[in-house]
Amino acid sequence: MGADQSISAPTVDVSAAAPGSAGAGTAAGGPVVFDVRDLDVYYGDFRAVRNVSLQIHQHEITAFIGPSGCGKTTVLRCFNRMNDLVETARVDGQVLYHGVDLYDPRVDAVEVRRRIGMVFQKPNPFPKSIYDNIAFGPRVAGTKENMDDVVERALRGAALWDEVKDRLRSSAMGLSGGQQQRLCIARAIAVEPEVVLMDEPCSALDPIATARIEDLMQEIKTEYTIVIVTHNMQQAARVSDRTAFFTTEVNPESDMRTGLLVEYDRTEKIFSNPSDERTENYVTGRFG
Amino acid sequence: MSLGDSAEPGPLRIHYTAELNELKLQTEMMGVLVDQNLERMREVLVTGDRAIAARAIAADDEIDAMNVSLTEHCYRVLARENPMAHDLRLVVSVIRVTATFERIGDLSLRVAKVVDDQPLIAGHAGIFEVLQFMADGAIDRYREALRAWATGDVELAGVVASGSGPIDQAADRLTEEMLALSGPDAVKVALRANTIGHSLQRISDHASILGRRIQYLVTGDETYLAAEVR
Repeated sequence: MGADQSISAPTVDVSAAAPGSAGAGTAAGGPVVFDVRDLDVYYGDFRAVRNVSLQIHQHEITAFIGPSGCGKTTVLRCFNRMNDLVETARVDGQVLYHGVDLYDPRVDAVEVRRRIGMVFQKPNPFPKSIYDNIAFGPRVAGTKENMDDVVERALRGAALWDEVKDRLRSSAMGLSGGQQQRLCIARAIAVEPEVVLMDEPCSALDPIATARIEDLMQEIKTEYTIVIVTHNMQQAARVSDRTAFFTTEVNPESDMRTGLLVEYDRTEKIFSNPSDERTENYVTGRFG
Repeated sequence: MSLGDSAEPGPLRIHYTAELNELKLQTEMMGVLVDQNLERMREVLVTGDRAIAARAIAADDEIDAMNVSLTEHCYRVLARENPMAHDLRLVVSVIRVTATFERIGDLSLRVAKVVDDQPLIAGHAGIFEVLQFMADGAIDRYREALRAWATGDVELAGVVASGSGPIDQAADRLTEEMLALSGPDAVKVALRANTIGHSLQRISDHASILGRRIQYLVTGDETYLAAEVR
């Protein structure tokens, strides 16, 4: 449980976890948004990830890199309790969001996901109009603001407004892959989250669409904190402020692989002079 | 629980690894060509042999060509392979080191080109002795730097980086010798001795730069980059 939360409250309100309410800014970065402490994630008896400890800083882009199966997406999904949707998933350790333990049973997972949005690998717009895709979240959240304004602001924020302003009532399915992904980012930011999680957001996009998303990430990081999982090391090197490298260890008896965090540092350090040989082997492409 | 095979360097990017090794070796070979010209420079300084001076001038073309070729090779690797970490430091260091080698080669030619006035210099024992000391010292320091490059010996690189003291002191002695010159050829001797002495001191300085660069390459510590330009 976070040190600054009210234990007398019947529920723990993450919306009260105002930015900067825990983890003061340091010379090493801005205020801490997520403080992950000794995180283990299990699927049934299988431990998918072990002993992850790191801090995500406000208004920074943090990249998770590592080989397939190293647990980077699993850790990302802990940040907005997406793993709750997996029946056998269990989380040990703590994920503190501005000092509030996200896995405290009194925390409302829906509120968590409103504050901490997510963009997935494959663009997944609803089979509805562009307008309705954006308006869906704010409507559910019961926004009192003029919906046209909300939609325009979100689309502008995702650098999509100029391309779609004349066809807002057209189906979102008619957009290109890159536009669909920016629509999903617009949809994520329409509910005004503090954090945007991105799980390989460019893996299905061509280089031009990828460049647009990367530009967009740089633009919106002044307002949002971004955590991105990527298989593209150059992308991590280009866009992120910090990088976490995960790898796998193998249990020789069961042949089961468990992910672990090897190194977490400033991105330029990770890619120019990593401290751990395993990181060096991975970023130089010699991981065998 | 043990680390799996995936944590060990595996047989990936074999061609790329070979290309980087080739780049490092070619740089060393360019360094050897420069070393040969430094030896010719010393011979010219000591003997005034015009044929050796001519060979040094001809050999410099090959050094220049290698510099261009290696630089282009580095640009290709940067463009194609996106090198990271030690690989990136190696490629950018090759660009820096080959440029430094090329500069050292040019400085050795400056000395060799004074060949026609070598008898004049040799006629002034004090100056001649200091210049020979500086030539020996500069060559020794360059060779240590080249050895540190070839072996990745960071300790030796550190010794080279901080070892310019004796050459600098000799340069001061040379100035004193030049100020003490008199007679009708004093100005000419001083001008030629100054050219040679300044070139030898610069070769020594470039050996220090190489030492710092090798320290950076091996350790990744960026403070060596700042030291390199001081």
